[in-house]
Amino acid sequence: MASLSEEVLLVLKKVRQRKQDGTLYLMAERIAWGPEGKDRFTVSHLYSDIRCQKISPDGKAKIQLQLVLHTGESSTFHFSNDSSALTDREAAKDLLQQLLPKFKKKANKELEEKNRMLQEDPVLFQLYKDLVVSQVISAEEFWANRMSTTNTENTLSDKKQDVGISAAFLADIRPQTDGCNGLRYNLTPDIIESIFRTYPAVQQKYGENVPHNLTEKEFWTRFFQSHYFHRDRISTGALDIFSECAKQDEKGQVPSYEGYGFSAAASTSNPNRTGKENSNSAIIKRFNHHSAMILAAGSRRGDAPNDQASETSSTDGNSRDSDLFQPPIKKVKLQEAIDYLDLQREDGPKTVALNLKKSDRYAHGPVPLESQKYTTSQDIINSITCIRHEMANYVPNLAQVLTSSAVSSAIAALSPGGVLMQTGTQQAINQMVPSEVQGELKHLYIAAGELLRHFWTCFPVNSPFLEEKVVKMRSNLERFQMTKLRPFQEKVQRQYLSANITGHLEEMLQTAYNKLHAWQTRRMMRKI
Amino acid sequence: MSGDRYELNLLVIVMDVNPIWWGQQAQREPEFTLSKCLDAVMVMGNSHMAMTTTNRLAVISSHFQDSHFLYPCKNWTGGDGAWDGTMDEAPYCGDGKYELLSVANNVVAEEMKRVMSTTEMKGNSTDTLLAGSLAKALCCILLQKIVTFFSAGQEMKSRILVIKTAEDCARQYMNFMNVIFAAQKQNILIDACVLDSDSGLLQQACDITGGLYLKIPQKIALAQYLLWVFLPDLEQRPQLVLPPPVHVDYRAACFCHRNLIEIGYVCSVCLSIFCNFSPICTTCETAFKIQLPQMMKSKKKKLKQSI
Repeated sequence: MASLSEEVLLVLKKVRQRKQDGTLYLMAERIAWGPEGKDRFTVSHLYSDIRCQKISPDGKAKIQLQLVLHTGESSTFHFSNDSSALTDREAAKDLLQQLLPKFKKKANKELEEKNRMLQEDPVLFQLYKDLVVSQVISAEEFWANRMSTTNTENTLSDKKQDVGISAAFLADIRPQTDGCNGLRYNLTPDIIESIFRTYPAVQQKYGENVPHNLTEKEFWTRFFQSHYFHRDRISTGALDIFSECAKQDEKGQVPSYEGYGFSAAASTSNPNRTGKENSNSAIIKRFNHHSAMILAAGSRRGDAPNDQASETSSTDGNSRDSDLFQPPIKKVKLQEAIDYLDLQREDGPKTVALNLKKSDRYAHGPVPLESQKYTTSQDIINSITCIRHEMANYVPNLAQVLTSSAVSSAIAALSPGGVLMQTGTQQAINQMVPSEVQGELKHLYIAAGELLRHFWTCFPVNSPFLEEKVVKMRSNLERFQMTKLRPFQEKVQRQYLSANITGHLEEMLQTAYNKLHAWQTRRMMRKI
Repeated sequence: MSGDRYELNLLVIVMDVNPIWWGQQAQREPEFTLSKCLDAVMVMGNSHMAMTTTNRLAVISSHFQDSHFLYPCKNWTGGDGAWDGTMDEAPYCGDGKYELLSVANNVVAEEMKRVMSTTEMKGNSTDTLLAGSLAKALCCILLQKIVTFFSAGQEMKSRILVIKTAEDCARQYMNFMNVIFAAQKQNILIDACVLDSDSGLLQQACDITGGLYLKIPQKIALAQYLLWVFLPDLEQRPQLVLPPPVHVDYRAACFCHRNLIEIGYVCSVCLSIFCNFSPICTTCETAFKIQLPQMMKSKKKKLKQSI
C-alpha cells in the first residue's frame, strides 16, 4: 500500500485497467492504480521507469492513456467516468508531462553518460571489456570510481567558459526585403547582446534614449538607418544620434591591434589617392575597427588579468593619468625629459646572494671518496725506481708489438657475438613479437594498472570498508592473473620462445600480494 | 701540400704514464709494461699518419707532476717543421720507414725517457693529472684549427684518444666536466681506452662527446684494440660494427656521504643534494619544513568515525 510519507498529487476515480474498475493515484515519485474496493495497488510504476505516455486520439470513443516503460511493457488506463473522463485524462496527462521529464533525465542521464564515456575513450572501453565483461570485477565497482571524477569535471568546465561573440553577427542579421521597398531586420536578443558587448557606445545610447525618447523599435530602426551602420560613413546632420558614436570611434579609442591591409607608411605618405582608394581604405579601417572591438569585448568579459590587459590596451595609459591628476603632468614631462633609458642602471631581476658555507661540495663529483688502493710510500718509491730503470733502457721495438694468439683472441672478442659485443646484438623486444601481441600486452597493462591502483589506494588501511576492499582486490588480482595473464604468457612462450614480456607484470602483482601479506601479519601481531 | 680533397684530421693521444701504476704493473705482469704500451701507441700513431698525408698526430703524457707534449716537441733539435714533416736532418733508422713516422717515434721515445728520468715524488698526490692533459689537448687542437684555417683555409677535424690506467681522481671532477663540455661545444670526440678499472668520468666524457669507451680485457693485445676500434674516424665509424656504447651511470652523489643515489632531497636554494631529509640545509643554512603525512591520517580517522 502507499506509504504514508508519499505525497499524493492527483486522484482519479473510475479509471479502468484491464477491464477492471479502479482509482488512479499520481504520487510524487510514482503512478499507481488500485482496483475499486481494494486497499492495495496492483499497478505501480516509478516515473523514472516510464519512457513516454500516449493518449488515444481525440475523435475516439474510448478515452485512454498509455504508459510505455523503458523495458517495453505498457499499461493502458481507460477513463470511464461519464462526465469528466476527458478532463480527467487531460489532467493526468498534463501532470505526467510535467513530472516525467524530471525523472527521465536522472535515469537516462547516467546511462547516457556512461555510454558516451565508453564511446569517447577507446582505452576506457577496452578496460571495461577486459575487466567487467570477463567478470574480473563487477560493473558497479568499475563505475564507482569513474563517475565521481567525471561529474566534478563536467560541472567545473561548465562554469568556466562564456560564449564568445561571433564575428559575423552583424552580417548574420540579413535583412529581407519587405515586398514594398522596405527592409525587414530580424533582431534576436542574442544579436542585441552582441551589439552591446562589441560597441559599448551603442549600449550607452540605448540606455540614454530608451524608453524615454524612443521605443525600442524606433531605436533600432534609427540604428540601422544611420550611416553609422552602413559602409560609407558620411556623417550627416546632428539629428543622427549615432553621429556621436562615429566621432567617438574616430577619436581612436580603439585597442591597437594590427589590422588587415594596414601599413603605417601607406596611410601617411600618399595624399593624392583616388576616391576609390579612399573608400577602400575606409572600409578596411572599419573592418579592422569592428574586429578589434570584438576582440576587446571578448577580453573585457574575461578574468581579472585579462581585464587589466584590455584596460591598458583599450585606453591609452597617459590619457588616463591626465584625466585623474592634472598638476603632476608637468612633473611627469620633466621627468621624461631628463631620463634617458640607456644611462640608467640596468634593472635586472632582484637577486639574493647565495650564502654558501661549504661550497667545495659542488666540486666533488659523483665519484665515491673511498680510495680503493692504499699504496705505502715504500711501494711508491719502488715503483718509481722500477719505471725509471725500465725507461732508461727503452728502445722502441715496433716489430714485436703483438703476438698472433693475442691478436686472434682480441679479434674474436671484437667480432659480433664476442665478449665485448654482447649488449649490441640483443634484439629489441618490439622486433621479436608482432604488433597484435604488443597490443594485447598494452591492454593487459592498462587493466592491471587499474586493478593495482584500486589496490594501492586502500593503503593505509583505516576503516573496515578498506579492509574488505583490500581483500577483495587481492582476489580480483588473482582472478586477473589466472584468467588473463597466464594464458597470454603461455601463448607467447609457445610461439616466441625467448621473450619474457610479462615478467614485469608478474613482479607488480607479486609486490601487491607481498604487501597484503605483510599487512595481514602485522595485524595478526597487533591483535596478539 | 694543401690537399683539398682530404680533410685535416688531428689525433691527440693522451697517455696516462703514472709511474706508480706502471711500476706496480711491471711487477704484476712483466709481459706488459710501459715499454710495450708505448710501442702500441706508436703503432697507432704511425697508422694514423700513414692513412693520409693530411692526418696529424700529437701525443701528450699525463703524469702526476705535469702534462707534457711528447710529440711534437720543442726540445727536438731536428728543426722546426715537426708538423709537416720537413726537417733538416733525418735521423737514419735503418729500415726505410717513411721519415715522418721514424721521426715521430724517436721523438716520443726520447721525450718519454726524459719525463721518466725527471720523475720525483714531491707532493702527496699520486693522481694522474688527466683533466689538465685534456685541457692541453684542447688548446693544442684549437691552436691548430686557427693556424690551418688561416694558412691553408681548411677546416680541421680532431679527436682525442685517452689511454687510461690509474683510477679517477675525485678532486678533478669539476675541471673534467668543464673540459668535456668544452670538447662537446667544439665538436671534438673523446675516445677512451681503459686498461685497468672502469672510469665513470671517462664514460661520461665519451657519452657526451660521442666517442667510444672501451675497457680492454687483454692488455697485451692493446695495439690490436687500438687499431680496430679507435683508428677509424668519425665518418667511418657508423659503417663499421664496433662495440656498443656502455650504459653510463649518471646518478648524482649525495653531498653528505658521497653515495650515488637515485632518489634524494634537493635544497631549492643552493641545489645541493642529500640522501636524507634534514630541516636545515648544511650548505646554505636554509631552514625547511616538510608537511609530514601523519596530519592527514588523523583527519581521515575523524571522518570515518562520524559515519
